[in-house]
Amino acid sequence: MRKLTSLLVAALMVFGMAGQSLAAAAYDKQKVVYHINYDNPKKQAGALRNIQNHINAVGAENLDLKVVLHGNGLALLLEPDALARVPKFKHANADDQMAAKIDGLKSQGVAFNVCANTIKGRKVNRETDLYNVDAGDIVPSGVAELAKLQAQGYTYIKP
Amino acid sequence: MRKNDDLEINAFVDGELTVDERMDLLAAMQRDPDLAREACEMNNLKSQLQLAYANPPGLAACNVARGRSPWLTIAASFVMLAAGLLGGWLLGNAPANPERFVMLDAQGRGQAPATADSPETRIVFHLTNPDQAVAGELLDDVEQMLSAYQREGQPLRVEIVSHGEGLDLLRQRLSQHKGKIHQLAEKFNNLTFVACKNTIDRVQVSEGIEINILPEAEIIESGVNHVVKRQKEGWAYIRV
Repeated sequence: MRKLTSLLVAALMVFGMAGQSLAAAAYDKQKVVYHINYDNPKKQAGALRNIQNHINAVGAENLDLKVVLHGNGLALLLEPDALARVPKFKHANADDQMAAKIDGLKSQGVAFNVCANTIKGRKVNRETDLYNVDAGDIVPSGVAELAKLQAQGYTYIKP
Repeated sequence: MRKNDDLEINAFVDGELTVDERMDLLAAMQRDPDLAREACEMNNLKSQLQLAYANPPGLAACNVARGRSPWLTIAASFVMLAAGLLGGWLLGNAPANPERFVMLDAQGRGQAPATADSPETRIVFHLTNPDQAVAGELLDDVEQMLSAYQREGQPLRVEIVSHGEGLDLLRQRLSQHKGKIHQLAEKFNNLTFVACKNTIDRVQVSEGIEINILPEAEIIESGVNHVVKRQKEGWAYIRV
């Protein structure tokens, strides 16, 4: 009987602790930077899905989330009809479907930052070749931006 | 050496021996330099394992006093002096680049503590991608960045840790960017190429050949351990 009681108490304690950790699972504010430098459309779509799941878990109001794109990663924002104009890219992934995902994330506060070195080096026209990229979305160097953000306390994630 | 020494040394390093056992072992170490060296090495290994979890304490050097004759000591000092002079002469002719080696001390000795609010930008690139086109872009990015910082007089330090499939970039036989690596290493003393020894050993076994690493690269024990350590020290981390 005593053994049974102690077992019961142990079980209750485990449940109690589990409940507590669930309650504590609400997240504090987070600063996160996602790094994309690859052009595989499936991988890029997967990264956007990761970001959406991240927002779902933490809440948009608790998240300062930026995506830094450079090198091949720019393919994410490249309009399909621009591919012929930018021979240094193998993929242009900003079709209607991807554009909708990008818009959805932007409406939740996600910033998409684009590397000026890549734009210049690969002769990309921001206005005609890229999907919805403002002058304010351009950063001088993707790599330097990643370093700067980490120094400011952003957590680095490369999906 | 006595039987069960290894077990006992492990227990000693972990502080699990009783006082008597400890005294016994210490006495044995005084008689047997090999035993003492083994204990010291074990202690260093343990400290290195702890690097990933805490700031490393200064590690004791593994110098075990041996009953050398004074003449041998004197002869040894002359050899050291000659080596030092030769080294100094070589450094005088080549562009001196002491920091590059100091900062890569595998035991973490002799480097200034890096902090997140340090004015110097520090970036460790973790290269695991076998695609050398990607590695080439990395080298271009890094060159652009090093040049820009140099132009503006801002301090920057960059390490490229090639590890796993990323090791190809630093292999004599497979690297497609030997010239570029050589040129960058000559031009920038704040850039270091690092190859992971664990990867080298593993590939040597699996490919059954000896692997030669470019002379511009430093070799460290574990790439993973190294990038963890750098992040703990406040370096920015970028996976390539």
